[in-house]
Amino acid sequence: MGKKVLAVDDDPDVRSFVLTVLEENGYTPLVAQNGEEGMNAIKEEAPDLVILDILMPRGSGVRLYRELKTDASLKHIPVIVLSGIAEKSFLRSQKALTEFRGGDVPEPEAYLEKPVKPGELAETIKKVIG
Amino acid sequence: MRKILIIDDEEGNVRVLSMSLRSDGYDVVTAYSGEEGLDVFNQESPDIVLTDLRMPGLSGLDILKNVKESSPETEVIIITGHGDIDSAIEALQYGASDFINKPIREEGLSIALKRAKEKIDIRFKLKEYTENLENVVKEATDEIWRKSNFQIKLIRSSNDGIVATDSQWKVVIYNPEAERIFGYPPSEVIGKMSIADLYPPEITDIFMKGTGTKKSVRGLPWIETLILKRNGESIPARFSGSLLYEKGKVMGSVAFFQDLREIKQLEKELVRSESLAAVGETVAGLAHYIKNILIGLEGGSYVVDVGLDKNDTDKLRTGWQSIQRNIGRISDLVFDLLTYSKKREPESQNCFPNEIANDVVELVEKRARENNIRISKEFDLSIDEVTMDPRTVHRSLLNLVTNAIDACLFDEDTGKNWEICVKTVRENGNIIRFEVQDNGSGMAQEVEDKLFSSFFSTKGGRGTGLGLLVTKKLIEEHKGTIEFTSLPGKGTTFILRLPFEELKTF
Repeated sequence: MGKKVLAVDDDPDVRSFVLTVLEENGYTPLVAQNGEEGMNAIKEEAPDLVILDILMPRGSGVRLYRELKTDASLKHIPVIVLSGIAEKSFLRSQKALTEFRGGDVPEPEAYLEKPVKPGELAETIKKVIG
Repeated sequence: MRKILIIDDEEGNVRVLSMSLRSDGYDVVTAYSGEEGLDVFNQESPDIVLTDLRMPGLSGLDILKNVKESSPETEVIIITGHGDIDSAIEALQYGASDFINKPIREEGLSIALKRAKEKIDIRFKLKEYTENLENVVKEATDEIWRKSNFQIKLIRSSNDGIVATDSQWKVVIYNPEAERIFGYPPSEVIGKMSIADLYPPEITDIFMKGTGTKKSVRGLPWIETLILKRNGESIPARFSGSLLYEKGKVMGSVAFFQDLREIKQLEKELVRSESLAAVGETVAGLAHYIKNILIGLEGGSYVVDVGLDKNDTDKLRTGWQSIQRNIGRISDLVFDLLTYSKKREPESQNCFPNEIANDVVELVEKRARENNIRISKEFDLSIDEVTMDPRTVHRSLLNLVTNAIDACLFDEDTGKNWEICVKTVRENGNIIRFEVQDNGSGMAQEVEDKLFSSFFSTKGGRGTGLGLLVTKKLIEEHKGTIEFTSLPGKGTTFILRLPFEELKTF
């Protein structure tokens, strides 16, 4: 059984794409539609990697990211951010949130901007969890 | 301290008088003849001269005339003897201030002296007063001159063209800026032209008519006008003016002109740059939206490729669905862009509005259910088949219902039971009212303001900003109306009213 990878994205096209890439590269795929579903899946399935979209309704992507990076029991899970916004903008927004609530939040293990080629996604996953 | 000169040829008199006057506090100088008297007078410059009338040599009258000639302010009192009344009168005529009869009595003397002193005082005060008055007048005149000079400079340097006329409409003030605007040199205008020769006809009218009515031409707001210059050129300008009144009657007029050429040029440039900026924003927004569609298509085709490779029908189907979904989005976008950019007449057909509303609800039901949003329908069953444009109804309702779902999806208040209600109501006058109500996030004032006015979307990459713009256009082309109410945190209701025609046989 391959390593478990959870993909969280509100866009069904992205979900089916990432799922297919995961399957084609020997990982066990899990999907979730939003931050809350994602968190449930993480607690139940303990995935080895989370691929996360940031821009989801009600800021659930941002929230999930911060929880993953600040919760002691979840910090060890690597995160790849797969998003429609540029990495610069994402980091800037994280910095703003940090100043707001105090406490530094570490950067993701990898950051990918959509659109991403299947090969590039697979390579990145391999680099992060092998 | 007053100085008195006593002139008398009788020594005894002089002595007695001197003593008496000195003890009264006067400064006394004496002379025993007319000639001596004049010398002493010139030397001592007394305030008062007390002189005997009859003396050998120069008489008192001669002294009087002499003194009055050289020093008119000096008071001269004549001492007269018995029978000297004619001389006394003559002396008075020559300016003596008084005469006293011999023998000199204290009382008479003191009265005469008192009168003389009073005259001196009054004269002195008058002189002082007059000098003072002259000073005051000079200062006032200077002040007026300065102010007038200042105002002249003011008018000359003004950036506005200033033209003022007298009560006969003849130009009396015409400043350099007015010369620049109208093109005529002052020599041709001041005192020569009337406003009819200079101003645009409608401005002349305003002034001329203004004098007739009780309602005065005072401080008009700026009016834009065209001024015909001397060289035939026509320039845009702004005018404001007033009639000038003095004691209730028109005494003249004043007009201010501003050259608008530069302002108009700047306005044109501003409009151009604003619309260029708006186009830029629009194109960027659309490009972003299309990029998202592209991402969907690329993802879907990869999945299809894998399905083909592996002969996996499920994979094929999933990938193909992605592609189809995005083809649908492109198709909707194209429709919206075309609808937005072209003028369109509604294409009326026989249709069932309630059915169209039902179709729209069915299209979105799955997505709503997946996100715990309940959709309820309240259709007016008295609405049957009518003649109107079904595409307008469908497109508008779909847009509103989709927006309602998004309002619930974006709502931060996750404790709510989200609900959308779609209503149809038949109204008098062959109108159908469509209502789409949600209890989602509602709209802030800034969003409400931009709702129908620009390519504006709150949906990030998911929105084109076209949705409501196209809806509004379709509704208006269908001669209908659209309005909304919204409360942030509570929800929004959109109300469409569309007219229909009774069923036609085509």
